Amino acid sequence: MPTVYAKPGPFSFDMDSTALVVIDMQRDFLLPGGFGESLGNDVSQLRRTIAPLAALMAAWRAAGLPIIHTREGHMPDLSDCPPAKLNRGAPSMRIGDPGAFGRILIRGEYGHDIVDELQPLPGEEVIDKPGKGAFYATDLSEILEKSGIKALVVTGVTTEVCVHTTVREANDRGYECLVLADCVGSYFPEFQRVGLQMIAAQGGIFGWVAQSPEVITAIQE
Amino acid sequence: MMATIGPVKADPYPWPYDGTVPATRTALICIDWQTDFCGKGGYVDSMGYDIELTRAGLPATARLLAHAREIGMLVIHTREGHDPDLSDLPANKRWRSAQIGAEIGSDGPQGRILVRGEPGWEIVPEVEPVAGEVVVDKPGKGAFYATNLDLVLRTHGISHLILTGITTDVCVHTTMREANDRGYECLILSDCTGATDPGNHAAALHMVTMQGGVFGCVATSDDVITATEA
Repeated sequence: MPTVYAKPGPFSFDMDSTALVVIDMQRDFLLPGGFGESLGNDVSQLRRTIAPLAALMAAWRAAGLPIIHTREGHMPDLSDCPPAKLNRGAPSMRIGDPGAFGRILIRGEYGHDIVDELQPLPGEEVIDKPGKGAFYATDLSEILEKSGIKALVVTGVTTEVCVHTTVREANDRGYECLVLADCVGSYFPEFQRVGLQMIAAQGGIFGWVAQSPEVITAIQE
Repeated sequence: MMATIGPVKADPYPWPYDGTVPATRTALICIDWQTDFCGKGGYVDSMGYDIELTRAGLPATARLLAHAREIGMLVIHTREGHDPDLSDLPANKRWRSAQIGAEIGSDGPQGRILVRGEPGWEIVPEVEPVAGEVVVDKPGKGAFYATNLDLVLRTHGISHLILTGITTDVCVHTTMREANDRGYECLILSDCTGATDPGNHAAALHMVTMQGGVFGCVATSDDVITATEA
């Protein structure tokens, strides 16, 4: 069984029951000129995850292991967007407004899709979610149960929002979660640091934290 | 005349987003004020953390509870815990608690740790439920997963939540995130929460306020009381 050096202790996983989850690596969040940057965020803080994640995905696929991608977004008529999410804080740009890459966070738009470097392959699951967590109002639970998945290697953006919410949901459901520090990103370095620290606190209250090269080595052994 | 709440002086916007809300559409959620998390001999005490940090929000929460009861808000208490046979305890949660020296289900000074019905699992007297208030028993950190909380809120016509409890970065944050995804407009109170690590308490509150209030808003109990129109 592959074992990875991790905080708060070594993480072992069964190759037959572990999935790689890649959260919200969407153009709206990652591309220069996109929605994320238009809110004043530094997208380079997220873009540093692309190269290590591409390498991890290649090794993961080569080992024949499953990858699940998620995308945050809403229906074109916004019928699945809660009013509080749409209207709070009087944002300069709202979900559904026209942006540089189509309507912001709307399913089917160019900006809503995953960046070119990390595009899903045919046969890989893509979960469209209306919230921050990948379990709420999606069929992720059913997919994991059907495929006998017990552990998740979690990557993507942003660390303290969608990654954290999804890890918290997964942890309550009994999944073992390994979060990869170099493959998750936050616009804010302080939240990247504290977000990872919270996961491994109190003996790993939400899971484990490691680096992707460790995982690549472990699955190639 | 029905009491209303808002606009509350809050960060990053006056709460709620829709101006004011009737008290009857707002619930006060009191999360895991249990001896195991803030009492002597409980789970958090057994792990070696300073329970003064998790008890810090008790006086303000007690004051706000009295206010909420007076103006007719729905009050909901939650308790984290497991069945005595531990059939609802995920294996990894049990393993981790054992690693840190306070295995869930084992005997402690306040009875079996985090087991339903034991003294340590009860809510502390300062903020204990009164007859008729809803108590939600949850096996996880989030109060929505594997509970009837969403159904209870919808049945009561609740659209807005005010959150208190412990710990800020674990159970309160997980519940706030779940509520936010479900469309509830949330307010977390900085003086009615607390964590085993003061840095994580501060960071968790700060995270709420980013991106125009990604999970809602932060205020104090006084801000809520001041913004109530009877």
